[in-house]
Amino acid sequence: MMEQSKYLEGVEKKDLFAHGHRACGGCGQALAARLVHDAAGENTIACVATGCLEVFSSPYPDPAWRIPFLHSLFENPAAVASGVEAAYKALGKGPVNIIAQGGDGSTADIGFQCISGMFERGHNVLYVCYDNEAYMNTGVQRSSFTPYGARTTTTPTGNKTRKKNLPMIAADHGIPYVATATVDDFRDVQKKVKKALAIEGPKYIHILAPCPLGWGHPGELTVEVCRLAKDTGLFPVFEIVNGKVTNVRRIPVKLPVEEYLKVQGRFKHLFKKGVPTEEVAVIQEIANQNIERFNL
Amino acid sequence: MNKLPLGLALDLRNVVPYKTGSWRTLLPVNIMQTPPCSNACPAGNDIRGFLRTLAEKKDYEAAWHVLTRTNPLPATCGRVCPHPCEEGCNRRDFDTAVAINTAERAVGDYGLEENLEHKKLIASRKERVAVIGSGPAGLSCAFHLAKRGFHVKIYEAYGEPGGMMRYGIPSYRLPNYILRQELDNVLKLGIELECNVKVGVNIPMDQLVQTYDAVFVGIGAQKGLSIDITGDDAKNVFTGVDFLREVNSGKYVDVGKDVVVIGGGNTAMDCARVAKRLGANVSVVYRRTRIEMPAITAEIDEAMEERVMFRYHTNPVKIITDDDKVVGILSVQMELKEPDASGRARPVPIPGSESVIPADTVILATGQAVDYDGIEVQKRDGKWVAANENLMTSIDGIFAGGDAVLGLETVSAAVGQGTRAASAIEDYIEGNVESRLARPPVIYSRDLNTYYYQKKKRFEKEALPIHMRLKHFKEIYPPFDLEAIIDEAERCFSCGLCFNCGNCFMYCPDNAVKISPKTGLYEFDLDFCKGCGLCAKECPCHYIQMSLER
Repeated sequence: MMEQSKYLEGVEKKDLFAHGHRACGGCGQALAARLVHDAAGENTIACVATGCLEVFSSPYPDPAWRIPFLHSLFENPAAVASGVEAAYKALGKGPVNIIAQGGDGSTADIGFQCISGMFERGHNVLYVCYDNEAYMNTGVQRSSFTPYGARTTTTPTGNKTRKKNLPMIAADHGIPYVATATVDDFRDVQKKVKKALAIEGPKYIHILAPCPLGWGHPGELTVEVCRLAKDTGLFPVFEIVNGKVTNVRRIPVKLPVEEYLKVQGRFKHLFKKGVPTEEVAVIQEIANQNIERFNL
Repeated sequence: MNKLPLGLALDLRNVVPYKTGSWRTLLPVNIMQTPPCSNACPAGNDIRGFLRTLAEKKDYEAAWHVLTRTNPLPATCGRVCPHPCEEGCNRRDFDTAVAINTAERAVGDYGLEENLEHKKLIASRKERVAVIGSGPAGLSCAFHLAKRGFHVKIYEAYGEPGGMMRYGIPSYRLPNYILRQELDNVLKLGIELECNVKVGVNIPMDQLVQTYDAVFVGIGAQKGLSIDITGDDAKNVFTGVDFLREVNSGKYVDVGKDVVVIGGGNTAMDCARVAKRLGANVSVVYRRTRIEMPAITAEIDEAMEERVMFRYHTNPVKIITDDDKVVGILSVQMELKEPDASGRARPVPIPGSESVIPADTVILATGQAVDYDGIEVQKRDGKWVAANENLMTSIDGIFAGGDAVLGLETVSAAVGQGTRAASAIEDYIEGNVESRLARPPVIYSRDLNTYYYQKKKRFEKEALPIHMRLKHFKEIYPPFDLEAIIDEAERCFSCGLCFNCGNCFMYCPDNAVKISPKTGLYEFDLDFCKGCGLCAKECPCHYIQMSLER
C-alpha cells in the first residue's frame, strides 16, 4: 500500500460499502453511505430502511455491504435499531456502533414516529438521513423534505410547501448531537460521523445526497450541486451539541439561488425563457432566512 | 462451509461483486498535458516537475536533477531570466503567479552548495563535436551532447568561459563565483575547453569542419554597435558591450562624475547600474518612453530605485568633445508619431529644443551585432546567422544558435537553442530523420477546478536596501530560506498532472478508483466504473478527462 496522500489525512477509505452496487452513475446516496460506514469502521451494524439504498445495495447474492446489514420496513429502521441496541445491552455484548438510516421519505414522513420514539427513549443509536428531497426509489414523488418550487411526479407544477426542518425537530428532542453535512465535503461528513459515534445516546446526522435522476442534473455535477446548495444558503451546514448551534459553516462567497436552481431539471419551470419567475424570489427569501437564522 | 452467525444469509467476505462497468458509455482517462509555464519557457524546463518534487518530497537534490535535465545553468537562469514562465502561470487567474524564478535560483544554489553532479546518459561514443563559444547556447549544446556521450571541445575567444554571462552581465546580478562553479560542473562531464582561441582568427574554420563530425556556432552578438554620431571616437566613449567587458574583466574604469548612457535595452540598464556603482551620476537617454523600452521591467524598476535618471523623448545629436575628451552631449527633444516597422512609436525631433547634458563618459548601448571575423555563413537580414528549423546553417554540418541566430535574446532562449541544436546534431551524425516528440496540448486555467486550491501569498524576494547596494558589486538579492521556497512550490497547481489530491479516490460513488499496487498511483477499476464523470469534474488539475467508450 502506498503511503497515504497528505491530502487524505484523517479520511477513511475501507470500502465497507463496496463496489458492485446498482446505484445510478453519480449517485449521491451511494457516496454518502460509503463515507458514513468507512468512518464508522468494521464494528458497525447497519439498519437500513426500504428505499433506494436498500434496493441497489442488497440483492442476493452480491450485496455491497461488508458489515452486518439489517433491512427493515420503510417506517421502522429506528425501532429496529433500538431493538438491536437493547438486545446487545441485554446480552451484555458490545460496544458496537449501530447506525439506523433511511432516505428522506422514511425519515421525515413514514418513519417519523419511530425516530421520535428512539430519540425520546434515549437509545445509543446514530440515525443518518440521506436527504435527496423526494421519494426517488418509487419514481420521484414529493416528500415533506421536497423544497419549495421543486417539480416531482406528484407536484408537476412545483411543490407549494416548504421543506420540513428535521435537524431542529431532532434537536428539540433534547438529544446530545445533531449535525448536517453534504457529500461534497468528505472530511466534514466523516468527522461528524466519528464525533457522533463517540457520544453516548441518540444522535442524528442529516446528509444532503443529490439524486441525478430525480433532480435532473448530470451525474458529474453531484458534488458541484451540493456546493451550490451550501453557498446559496439553501442548505445550512452546522452542528447542534447539547441544544446549542455550533460550528456553522460560513459561506465564503454568497451566491444567488439561481446558480443552484439553473443546473437542475426539477427547477427548470421556474425560468420562463431564462427569466426567473416570482417563485425564485420566494426561494431566495428562504435562503436569506437561513443565512440570517444560522449566521452563515 | 463455515457456519454463519445467526441472521446472516451469506458470508459477506466471499461475495463476488456484480460488474457494473458494462453500463458505461463514457470512459475516464488520464491525460497528461503541457502546463503553460513549460510552454512559455524558452529553455523548455520541466517547471511543474521540479516544483512538485520540491512540494511533495521536499527534496532539493531530486528537484535539481529534474531541472538540469533541460537546463545546465539553473543558478544562473534563476538570477537573470526575465521569467516568461510566470507570465504564463495559470495561478495568475486565481491569485498571483508562483515565484518560479526564485525557486529555480534556490534549487540551482543548492546544487552548487552540495556539489551535485550531472549524470551521463551514455558513457562514451567516438564522434567528436566542436562548439564555438562558451556562452549559454554553446554550453547548453555541449552539455547535452556530452551527456549523450559525444566528445565535445569548446573554443572560447576570451580568457574565461561564459560568454555574455561572464563579460556582459554585471556581478550584482550574477556573481562570478556562481557562474564559474556552474560552468565547472558542466565541464566535469568531460568537455574540453580551450580559451583565448578565436575561431576564424587563431584557427581556421575549415580545420574544425575537417576534424570534427559537426560544429556548433554559438558566438553570440559580441560586437557593440555605435550610432552614427559625431564625436564617438573620443576617449571616454564606450559601446555598452565594451564597457561591461572592461568592468567584468576586473579592470578599473574611471568614469568621472557624470555618465550618460544612450539606449533603452538590457545592456543600457546594466551599464547605467554599473556606472552608478562606480560612483557616478547616471542618466539614461532614450528616444521614446518607458513603455517602448525593450529592457526587462524589473531591471528598469531596479535602476530607478538606484536613482538612475531617465531622460525620455531625448535623442543625442552630437558628442561635445574638448581636447579629445567628452564634456557633454547635445541632445534634442523628440515627440512620438505613428508606429514604425518595429511596432514602436516613431520619434520625430521637435525643432529648437536642443539642450546640453554634461558628461564625463558616454556609453552607447544602442545595439549589438555578430562578430563574423573569419566565419563565412549565410546571413539573415544581413545581420544574424541564417539557420533552418534544425538550426543548421547554410553549410552542411555547421549548426548555430543563441543570440547569433535569434538576435538579442535571453540566456534561457540561448539555452533552449543549445538543447535543440544538440538533438539536431545527434540526428545529423546518426543520419536519423529529424524526429521531435509532439507535445501534449497546453492546459489553461478555464479547464481547472480551482475550488480545491487555497489562496496563499506569493514568496517575494527581498533586495538589499539601496544604500547598501551601491557601495559594491555584491549580489542585491541575498540567499533565500529553503523552507519558504518549499512552501512556495506548494502553490503550484500541477496543471495537467496528478498530484495525489485523492478527489477521484474519495468521490467515486462506485469505489472504482483504486491505488495501483505497482505504481502507487490512482487507477480506474473499469470493471465497476459507471462513467458518471464525477472524478473528471472534480479533478483540480484536469488530469482526468472523459472520453467515448471504445
